[in-house]
Amino acid sequence: MRCGDLKESYLEDEKIFQSVFVKFWLVLLFAFLILFPHFWFVDSYWLYIANLTGFAVIGAVGLNLLTGFTGQISLGHAAFIGVGGYATAILITRLGVPFWFALPAAGLISAAVGLIIGIPSLRVKGLYLVIATLAAQFILEFVFGHWESMTRGIRGINVPPPHIGSFVFDTEKSFYYITLTLVAAGVGFARNVVRTKWGRAFVAIRDRDLAAEIMGINLFRYKLVAFALSSFYAGIAGGLWVSFMKVVTPEHFPFSLSIQYLAMVIVGGLGTVLGSIFGAIFMTLIPELLNVLSGSTKHMFPGMDQLFIPMKDVVFGVLIVGFLVFEPHGLAEIWHRIKNFFTLWPFSY
Amino acid sequence: MRGRNLMVGLLVILAFAALNVLCHAQDEIKVGAVQPITGRFAFAGVNINAGLEDALMIANDEGGINGKKIKYIMEDGQYQLDVATAAFKRIMSRDNPMIMYGESTGLGKAMSPEIKDRYKILYSSTSFSGELADPPANPYIFVPGPTYGDMFGILLKYIANEQPGAKVAFFYSDTEFGKDPIPFARDMCKQLKLDLVAEAVAQVGAVDVTSQVLDLKRKNPDFVIFQGFVVDPVQTVIKQCRDFGMKCKFMGTFWGASKMIIDNLGPLAEGYMAVNPYMYWWNDDVPMIKKIKAYTAKKYPNVTARDNSYMQGFMTGLIFVECLKKADKAGQLNGEGLVKALQSIKDFDSGGLSAPYTIKNNKFPVARVWKVNVEKKIYEPASDWITLE
Repeated sequence: MRCGDLKESYLEDEKIFQSVFVKFWLVLLFAFLILFPHFWFVDSYWLYIANLTGFAVIGAVGLNLLTGFTGQISLGHAAFIGVGGYATAILITRLGVPFWFALPAAGLISAAVGLIIGIPSLRVKGLYLVIATLAAQFILEFVFGHWESMTRGIRGINVPPPHIGSFVFDTEKSFYYITLTLVAAGVGFARNVVRTKWGRAFVAIRDRDLAAEIMGINLFRYKLVAFALSSFYAGIAGGLWVSFMKVVTPEHFPFSLSIQYLAMVIVGGLGTVLGSIFGAIFMTLIPELLNVLSGSTKHMFPGMDQLFIPMKDVVFGVLIVGFLVFEPHGLAEIWHRIKNFFTLWPFSY
Repeated sequence: MRGRNLMVGLLVILAFAALNVLCHAQDEIKVGAVQPITGRFAFAGVNINAGLEDALMIANDEGGINGKKIKYIMEDGQYQLDVATAAFKRIMSRDNPMIMYGESTGLGKAMSPEIKDRYKILYSSTSFSGELADPPANPYIFVPGPTYGDMFGILLKYIANEQPGAKVAFFYSDTEFGKDPIPFARDMCKQLKLDLVAEAVAQVGAVDVTSQVLDLKRKNPDFVIFQGFVVDPVQTVIKQCRDFGMKCKFMGTFWGASKMIIDNLGPLAEGYMAVNPYMYWWNDDVPMIKKIKAYTAKKYPNVTARDNSYMQGFMTGLIFVECLKKADKAGQLNGEGLVKALQSIKDFDSGGLSAPYTIKNNKFPVARVWKVNVEKKIYEPASDWITLE
């Protein structure tokens, strides 16, 4: 039970570690995450899913900075992930740059592309910006497929796994620690950015750009910063994905992936870092759970594979609609309500 | 006391159950598959899955692998690399099968390093891509027929035989699937002294192909070979070419050899030819087709016909069974043993489903050219089995 939680200043209100309990639970969470690969029930499949979830978290946190905090809807996030993926692959295979330098470089390249794509955001807003970013998605997808001298076109590039000295990160387990470190860094950075001057500027632009400008916020600059930051995250997610999958082809970054990322931040909760995490976990885990479920129950319906297996997509769709109807603020809000309920439990009035 | 008895009883039951599972597991051979049951390749995936499963189940009915039963484990890969990889890893870590079947070229390429160094399992897939038949790079992966390159080779050999020095054009899609055989096919044209006059590229499902057709009209080829399309824009191209009064003959590779194409083309299918390594559902005189029909009638009374993709799955199943039998006989029922068995396949009789199969560089480069009979709406053999050396 938590009580006596009195805040006397705005600074205290903005603290990440608001109480001993928060620290305690976070330490516990980290202990769990670090020990996760060593649990008896965790096999390479679970670690594979954990890695994918990690990449999704990084990508979704990035998109939430842009869409949730700054209010700029982007339908080109998958393309930025692709830019990061290709940049990593090309830097590693063509120039022989080690993964550890290629990954941040890929983030920066992706951020640079994001900056360019973000330029129209000063002139166009709302749905028009959506279309502009949609164009970016298709242009970049075309580039991946047709700039053959660089991307090897449709055949794709095979990427060697990262290594330190003679230790190669080629299993799900070893890669998990790279992913975990970057997820922690990415989430920590985003959580901090949103309570700085930048973060406040983002929120001001989202809530009313005209008012923000009158207050002295340089719209152009902060919108571009948001685009660059978001693309940087996407680039890192893409670079990780590619090094983990060991292959990259243009088919891996379709428009539907952009939609999926947008769905992650909406289902998780717009404008909260926690929401991006929940959304990414939800969107990665639920389809897998449904896969497992449909796989283990399909024997009860012999010969019905064609009808039964696609049902999981229907169930998934219904789940998303259900969440949006019953909790428009996303999973993060549900989490808050549960937490608030237990704050004074069992002595709530 | 009663509690203790209960405990002992429970323990005994548990032990029996565990023993049962163990014994059961020992004489059970697992074959895993990631199939494109949903997604854009589902039209073929459902057929391929049925073919593979039926081949394995028929083998079971006939006594299994020297008495051991085969268990078929299938998961949907949605024709998306990350979903398919997840399904692959799920099957591997849960069931640890000896053989895996994959849904796409991409999955094979992505899993190739792990199949070789970590899992060491026999692997085949829906893909005829030449990149997956490369024994030095990966001895565990094989293609259950000719590669797309081989199919082009067989078609070109047929053309060179029918009309030496003919003018040939390639019409392929802007995908990996479309471009895979083209470099090899260009070389083949030179070797066979055929005149490659045009190469047209279009997107899968393209609606406007006027510029490509005009180009074809200018170059006036005798044969146009399609690659990398399933249905569209094959119909549009043929129609526009005929409208221009062109007399060229159209040809397709495996996915252009389906019944679906005939149904789609209608009267335009007159003279259309395709290369296919397997016999068709309507070739009733073939013993294996008879067996398939009898099994289908028994197991799926509602199914009245199966397309060539079913035969592909079925043939893969037959090769799997043959490898398992050989490996088991040699007392080496594991990945290594299966690869050895695969490499020893020579003149394998598939009950007439294809020509006698002999492995060469982890593929079986044999097929025949078929011609459409528009009245009967079927393909009829235009050539005997052609083997590519």
